[in-house]
Amino acid sequence: MNLLVELGVQGLINGAIYALIATGLAMVFGLLRILHIAHAGLFALGGYLGLVITNASGSFALGLAGAMLLVGVCGMAMYRLCYEPILDKPPYVALIASVGLFIAMEELFRLVFGAYGRSYRRVPLQGALEFAGMRIKYAELGVAVLTVGLLVGLALFTSRTRVGIAWRATVTDSRMAASFGVSIAGVRYLNFFIGSALAAAAGVMVGVLNNLVEPGMGGVPSYKALAIIVLGGLGNLNGTLVAALLLGLVEAYGSIYLSKVLDRDSIAFAALIAVLLVRPQGLFGLRS
Amino acid sequence: MYRSFRRALAASSAACALVYGLGATPTLAQPPIKIGFHAGLTGPAAADGKAAEAAAQLAVDQINRAGGVLARKLELIVYDDQFKPEVVVPLANRMIGDDKVRAVISAGFSAPTRAAAPVFQKAEVPYIAAISFAPEVTRAGDYVFRVTSVGEVQGRAGAKLVGDVLKKKRVVVITIKTDFGKTLVAGFKDAAPKFGIQILKEYEYSPGDRQFGPLVASIKADAPDAIYATGFYFTGGPLVSQLRAAGVAADIVGPESYSSQKFIEIAGAAAEGTLITNVIDWGSQSPEVTQFLADFEKKAGFKAEAVSAQTHAAISVLAAAIRRAASDEPKQIRAALEKTDLMTAIGRLSFNDLHEVRKVFPVSIVRNGAWTKFTTIDDMVLLAPPTK
Repeated sequence: MNLLVELGVQGLINGAIYALIATGLAMVFGLLRILHIAHAGLFALGGYLGLVITNASGSFALGLAGAMLLVGVCGMAMYRLCYEPILDKPPYVALIASVGLFIAMEELFRLVFGAYGRSYRRVPLQGALEFAGMRIKYAELGVAVLTVGLLVGLALFTSRTRVGIAWRATVTDSRMAASFGVSIAGVRYLNFFIGSALAAAAGVMVGVLNNLVEPGMGGVPSYKALAIIVLGGLGNLNGTLVAALLLGLVEAYGSIYLSKVLDRDSIAFAALIAVLLVRPQGLFGLRS
Repeated sequence: MYRSFRRALAASSAACALVYGLGATPTLAQPPIKIGFHAGLTGPAAADGKAAEAAAQLAVDQINRAGGVLARKLELIVYDDQFKPEVVVPLANRMIGDDKVRAVISAGFSAPTRAAAPVFQKAEVPYIAAISFAPEVTRAGDYVFRVTSVGEVQGRAGAKLVGDVLKKKRVVVITIKTDFGKTLVAGFKDAAPKFGIQILKEYEYSPGDRQFGPLVASIKADAPDAIYATGFYFTGGPLVSQLRAAGVAADIVGPESYSSQKFIEIAGAAAEGTLITNVIDWGSQSPEVTQFLADFEKKAGFKAEAVSAQTHAAISVLAAAIRRAASDEPKQIRAALEKTDLMTAIGRLSFNDLHEVRKVFPVSIVRNGAWTKFTTIDDMVLLAPPTK
């Protein structure tokens, strides 16, 4: 019984990380219909910047904030330099550019930060909370708090602020929004900034949980996040959140009870195939 | 008088030139012996590949400084296999056809090494695998050798360490889903009954996994006495730290692939007490080992681990074979390699009829943030490599 609960907690924590990564991906897809693979590269960049800033300054809060800010700016630059010039091309052009960018980023991390991966000099959020026979690490609690905080913040922003409402209007119908005076370019930059900053937060937290930031750390999220946003109904943020948490849970139980039949990493895709067979629009997508 | 003086001067300078030419700089006069080398220097294998390259270069420099081999220098021809079988085959042909190498060292992983071995076999160029574990490698033919023990052998050493040395009988086994991990666990399970080990449960994970929360929760419920956890420093580091953070106190035993200092850096204080079947004997007094450990750290800027020690040993074995053969003819190098019995950076080693290495396993333990000597597994019957 205790094990079942503990697996559930672990699943939710992993799901929270998936949610942070996949939200940015879903935001980009919702707005531009681009499969932004290089998003996982930004996730890894977040991990590196968080570690470098924390190791240099000794402050994890500064590391986290700095990584989110800088990666957000990098995301905007990526949109400006890589995606904007090819927006009028068919979507696969952007996809290929994105895959190329992702591979280049990984090798760049290897050149700049070394092939071995980096670790924190003093690992932040050490220690654990004990209750009901379980031990939950502070870093894991940190993931949960950060995810809830950021996603609630995002929800409030999009529903309560003028900029957020303009953003939603642009996602729904960009031409109509533009005719009401919304700056489409501004919305796109904002979109990349927020999405990339969320990925950076996930990267920093994964770096802390593993005490390891490595060039290839974007590899698994790059395709898993893709499965999540498809499951969630491409571009649907609420659907993405639910799909991410569900995947985290299914993987947690699956890696213990299904590991002989199904690899943990293949669970996401088995679920993807199953859902697409039954509901091609995704779990929460609307049939168009 | 003047003319005869000039003649005398000319004669003496010619004599000087002759003396210097023959005596002082013979290694410069003859062309170097070319040794091919491939490893994954970019891409996912780059960390190990770069360490191996540094070790190979160190070995060659040491040999050349001491006068070379057969009064000739060794020259390392380095290629990046990118950890890809399709990349390594053209490189192998280039080494054979263009570079005309006399022998080749692979510090590549199993995928490229498995692909390259038949190419070198066909061209009859001696090929020594330093770190590849794939069983097919030495089966490519009699020109192929391996200085690292295959997974099964190391797994058996792990079982003896757990059941016989530590006397832990209730054990959980964790497999990383690679050829290496699977063969390690196969060897461990094969030898487990001999040492009275009861395997409570088996777990598996992918090389991409770093978060082991579910696994750790389940292992905690199993309450084992010891955990045999296969993997690499980048999976083992997070795994060990997560096990300890969850309060699992069982002994943790791993393979040589944890031997990087990076493992300790990642796991931090949680690494203390972790045991591995290593290739480096951290308590060795033998100059071949101590000299390598000191020189490598000076050259590379970090402590040596299994990959670099094995690559260094592969070059030493090759140089010794060329010396014994008194020739750089591949056929004679091959014959001399078969008779190897040499003290190297990974201890004394020789080859069996399949050209698999025979050697003992030093066991290392993390104490005060560093790998230190624990014991040695030297039961050569248990550690017998596969034969033809």
